[in-house]
Amino acid sequence: MEPSTSFFDFIQQEPAKLLQQTLTHTGLTFISVLIAIAIGLPLGILITRRRRLSGLVLGIAGVLQTIPSIALLGFMIPLLGIGVKPAIVALFLYALLPIIRNTYTGIRGVDPAVTEAATGMGMSDRQLLLKVQLPLAMPVILAGIRTATVINVGVATLAAYIAAGGLGEFIFGGIALNNTGMILAGAIPAALLAILFDWLISLLQKRMTRQSRMRLYLLPLILIVLSSFYLLPMGNNARLKAGFTPEFMGRRDGNLGLRTVYGIHINPLVISDMIMYKAAYEKTIDVISGSSTDGRGKAFDLVVLQDDKHIFPPYYAAPIATNTILEKYPELEPTLNLLAGTINDSIMTALNYQVDYLKYSPEKVAREFLMQKGLYQPARNGSKGTIRIGCKIFGDGYILANMYKMLIEGHTDLAVSTKLGLGGTKICFDALNNNQLDVYPEYTGTGLLAILQTPANITDTLIADKDKVYTYVSREFEQQYGIKWLKPVGFNNTYALMMRRQQTMDLQIKSISDLARYLKK
Amino acid sequence: MIQLSHVSKFFEKGKNAVDDISLTVNDGEIMVLLGTSGCGKTTTLRLINRLLDASSGTVEVNGENVRRIPATTLRKSIGYVLQNNGLFPHYTVEENICTVPQLLNWPKEKTIARCHTLMHKLKLPPEQYAHSYPHQLSGGQQQRVGLARALAADPPVLLMDEPFGALDPLTRDAVRQEFKSLDELHTKTVVLVTHDIEEAFQLGDRICLMNAGRIQQTGRPAELLFRPANDFVRNFFDRQRTQLELSTLKLRDIWDTIPSSHNGENYVEITGDASCWEALSLLTSSHVIATHNGTAKVITGSAVMNGLQTYKTR
Repeated sequence: MEPSTSFFDFIQQEPAKLLQQTLTHTGLTFISVLIAIAIGLPLGILITRRRRLSGLVLGIAGVLQTIPSIALLGFMIPLLGIGVKPAIVALFLYALLPIIRNTYTGIRGVDPAVTEAATGMGMSDRQLLLKVQLPLAMPVILAGIRTATVINVGVATLAAYIAAGGLGEFIFGGIALNNTGMILAGAIPAALLAILFDWLISLLQKRMTRQSRMRLYLLPLILIVLSSFYLLPMGNNARLKAGFTPEFMGRRDGNLGLRTVYGIHINPLVISDMIMYKAAYEKTIDVISGSSTDGRGKAFDLVVLQDDKHIFPPYYAAPIATNTILEKYPELEPTLNLLAGTINDSIMTALNYQVDYLKYSPEKVAREFLMQKGLYQPARNGSKGTIRIGCKIFGDGYILANMYKMLIEGHTDLAVSTKLGLGGTKICFDALNNNQLDVYPEYTGTGLLAILQTPANITDTLIADKDKVYTYVSREFEQQYGIKWLKPVGFNNTYALMMRRQQTMDLQIKSISDLARYLKK
Repeated sequence: MIQLSHVSKFFEKGKNAVDDISLTVNDGEIMVLLGTSGCGKTTTLRLINRLLDASSGTVEVNGENVRRIPATTLRKSIGYVLQNNGLFPHYTVEENICTVPQLLNWPKEKTIARCHTLMHKLKLPPEQYAHSYPHQLSGGQQQRVGLARALAADPPVLLMDEPFGALDPLTRDAVRQEFKSLDELHTKTVVLVTHDIEEAFQLGDRICLMNAGRIQQTGRPAELLFRPANDFVRNFFDRQRTQLELSTLKLRDIWDTIPSSHNGENYVEITGDASCWEALSLLTSSHVIATHNGTAKVITGSAVMNGLQTYKTR
């Protein structure tokens, strides 16, 4: 059933993009390694001279290394915003420990008889370091640089989350779009880069002869050249800066539609949904690919540009469940349908606002809403069976999944286990299709385009009518996967281009066509 | 000349490594610091080139207090040979030997010429070994490179810390002989540390025997052997006493006790400068005749042993 393009098809379609992302990735890796060498090497030398500092310095570098990479990137955002700077700083911090530690170990590992001979010959501390200790420690130091480089090639894939580019863009986009070829187009080059750099540095690491000493002098030069790759593809000279999610980038009802239908060529930054709204508010970027019911749109006073040429299909949310589970527990379907039609766009936006901005827990927000609607019943702690509920990693999903959990536990004798915050459509849907989930909330538009990958000619006939889309996906899911769409919850969480209210007034932009006209001026 | 006056060195753990030492090493002399492990001999050596600084007392090299000379300047004027040779593994033999001349900014041609002269003298033909790395050489060759490196800048003073200690007995003997016959050394003031009694007697013009951080006796080998200053000195040599005595004593020292006779044929001829030990060794395979001050005498085992006995009771 694999609807996605194969790896080779994909790289044939996007060779320029692949090259650009590979260069960006290389640049990111080596800028950070270069800075880590510039700071880690002297620091490593320092702690061989001031032994008392060694525990402290190695300890701090060690702690930095243990912070999960995605969390470290997250910590950087409040300090440095999004984009290149926080990514380089995070990667630099990761590269630091192997370089400091190997410099320290390498120098301390030099035969004491040799250093004593050097001192006894009358070498100064500086001469001892430059003529004896560093050359002899060099293979160990290079091993540290090698480790740091390989780590950074891997961690740099995460940089796409904070709009720093690199091969991670393909990986995250592929996960969001259910496109295996796209994931591989990011993952395989990243793995090859790691192997290539590892091998190149290992060549330098061989025993230090006169020739290899010469080669070593070239290393900083090579590093600087590789680092500069980062700057090459950054041709972002549009009048407004756009930041789109990886998912939006690859969709026909996303950036592709903006290009073909509206003629907008804006060369956007790829950015994670989690930080996009704040980045727009802080004027780091101007146009974002939001979702219309996201609470942060309200919180940051962003306005939705009118989709006057209808490229965004309706995205009505409804739970989808396997026929197997619905037949096994007949009480499940009516229980899930209790929510049908109860949440319109503005209610959903308000609920999301409570979670995203007021920082209430999705559980609390879900319970209060159900109580208000008179649907809440205390959990019966039933033992008839367990329903596995999932959701994707954003606001609507968490709130709906919590509501379904409470409804099932309160209205039936079934128990619920949840797997919340799954990384994207592909992960959720594959889990459901492979019987690792029973229910999760999905959108009709996503079903139509991302999962079914419906051809453009069929999509065009459906897209203006929400009921036609619902009917079409219901029928196709039933036939292809044995999965049932239950009744829609009521709100339409469609894609939307958003901008700051003040800027839309200054520039007199109300619709996407206005935006296109402004950009062409 | 090297002069140590009332020198002590304390380490943090409280024990004195070196306790109130006074010692003079004359120009052109080989002074051996002898003693068991931990007796303070290596510490004493390191006080001279300021790898350690004395806690009290003064160390003078050629009349100048070493504390008044910058350590690096001082060390460049003192050759230093280590037990495990301490050669730079990333330098070739030539680069190793040229280390100090380079630190002293000698002209390149002079440095290379000096290096090749030394390599010839130490039986390391430059055309064969100049561009080898230390790990490609045998232990004996490595030690000779270490010696050449110490001698490269022609320093007046040479410090050697167990220089032959890491070699196997056969190689050790060969390198020692070569060392002894090296003309470069005849003008140098040498301080050599060893725990090997035989080596001390073979190489030392004078020996300084140390124990527990103090000097027990300083003197020529024969003085330590035949006129020990205390029981420690006497006991120290007991296990090898007879051999040492025979090696140290020359035939001329006991010449008057040897009976005069010179008849017979097929004799091996030696001089009065030969040691008693050498004479006895030759006697195991042939007859021996020795000449001293124009007279010749037949040497027999009993004559040598009697001579030794008489010498000791004198």
